[in-house]
Amino acid sequence: MPGKPSEEAFRNRAYWDRLSDEYQARHKNFIRQPEPRWGVWQIPDSELGVLGDVSGKDVLELGCGAAHWSILLAKLGARPVGLDNSARQLEHARELMAEASVDFPLVHSSAEAVPLPDESFDVVFCDHGAFTFADPYRTVPEAARLLRPGGLLAFSKLSPFAYVAENEDERVGPLLRRDYFGLHEIDDGGVVTYDLPYGEWIRLFRRYGFAVEDLIEPRPAEDATSTYWDESERDWARRWPSESIWKARKER
Amino acid sequence: MSHADDALKNREVWTKANAEYTDQKARESWAKDEIDWGMFSGPESELNTLGALEGKDVIELGCGTAYFGAWLAKRGARVVGVDITPAQLETARRLQQETGLNMEFIEASAEDVPLPDASFDLAVSEYGASIWCDPELWIAEAARLLRPGGKLVFLCNSTLSILCSPDEGKVEERLMRSHAQLGRFEWPGEDEGVNYHLAHGDWIRVLRENGFEVEALHERLAPESAQDHVYYEFMPAEWARSWPAEEIWVARKAI
Repeated sequence: MPGKPSEEAFRNRAYWDRLSDEYQARHKNFIRQPEPRWGVWQIPDSELGVLGDVSGKDVLELGCGAAHWSILLAKLGARPVGLDNSARQLEHARELMAEASVDFPLVHSSAEAVPLPDESFDVVFCDHGAFTFADPYRTVPEAARLLRPGGLLAFSKLSPFAYVAENEDERVGPLLRRDYFGLHEIDDGGVVTYDLPYGEWIRLFRRYGFAVEDLIEPRPAEDATSTYWDESERDWARRWPSESIWKARKER
Repeated sequence: MSHADDALKNREVWTKANAEYTDQKARESWAKDEIDWGMFSGPESELNTLGALEGKDVIELGCGTAYFGAWLAKRGARVVGVDITPAQLETARRLQQETGLNMEFIEASAEDVPLPDASFDLAVSEYGASIWCDPELWIAEAARLLRPGGKLVFLCNSTLSILCSPDEGKVEERLMRSHAQLGRFEWPGEDEGVNYHLAHGDWIRVLRENGFEVEALHERLAPESAQDHVYYEFMPAEWARSWPAEEIWVARKAI
């Protein structure tokens, strides 16, 4: 069974409890879509081929927020469980679930130590969720524990290119502003986010018995809009990867 | 441009480079005891990418003067080097005769190797086919040449360093070209050939499509002691201390 979450997980819980209402007010219409879509640019799963057919599958969303994704997956025949570190985010999830007339378990926990049994899911995933806001050295082994053999781990996050090219105003530009090596914990004082160099992600997947299936670097359309990034940032994201989506398969 | 035209151009580049640099450098490189990856990536003794070499059948894809293959032959591997540049193969053969190492050389492109299926345990490339051949073709050839469970290990320029490369001159601390431009590069400068640089996701896709499992991607910091290379001067050592100059991929053919 899982250990204890990190101190940073408790800081991030407080951060998300504070931010939740404002976050949902700003983004919820943008991310409330009729079909599953990924990330900052809301690119359809049908285009990217990340999750594919989920019907009849046990799916765990790590960092579900208001559970937009899990609600859609429930409608598509999956048996989702939504986990989030913030109680306030889960209140938003309950509201949206009631509106959509779907029901599934919600779990209030950090993804670093998940109170659910071993090998109980076919898919563990998130879209800018726990693999951004929790420590991958804890979440990857947790995902390995929670998945059945042959199960899929898939998650999106900002790409390490965006991290390296981010300036003091937290906007991306053409200059390399930060070192790539040592990339792990990024503490801006308010929230702690995480990323790893690509090679280190692969090392971590392999260490916990995952085969690396895919790395997708989605590119927004020319006229894409987003409530997360503005137009000049979109133009950057047309040229360099703003996000990365990893797919890894737990070996049988 | 066809692959044959690209090969002609690359052969010209490497014939000239051999006259200017790689031929005179070859004896010293062959004589080294340590297996060393790239300009900055470091010793195999730290990276442990290759595994045991004694008695292994190894093919070096795009071997040039074959110093890398020579280091493996010294450890008991039987090494076959393929390259398209006769001048470099001549250098390699001369050193093979001097050293008596268990190596042979074939003039061929790694995109089309005249050797039977499943005849090697290990395929390696250090700035060889790994950047000078079309990955769709040479990775498929590596898969064909390897026995089930065989290993493919190759070093190439990092994706980030290519994105930060101007058309001519040194790598900058600035993104210079779009990710969408990755793929086939025909560099405009004099003495530049045609090469291939892929996005990380595309490497994973092409490896998997050819039946490889991705085992590792090594991205390494250049050591404090690193100096700018005397001949390949596009990469400042200073840059390589903050960002990965090179990447080593390790993949295994499914059993």
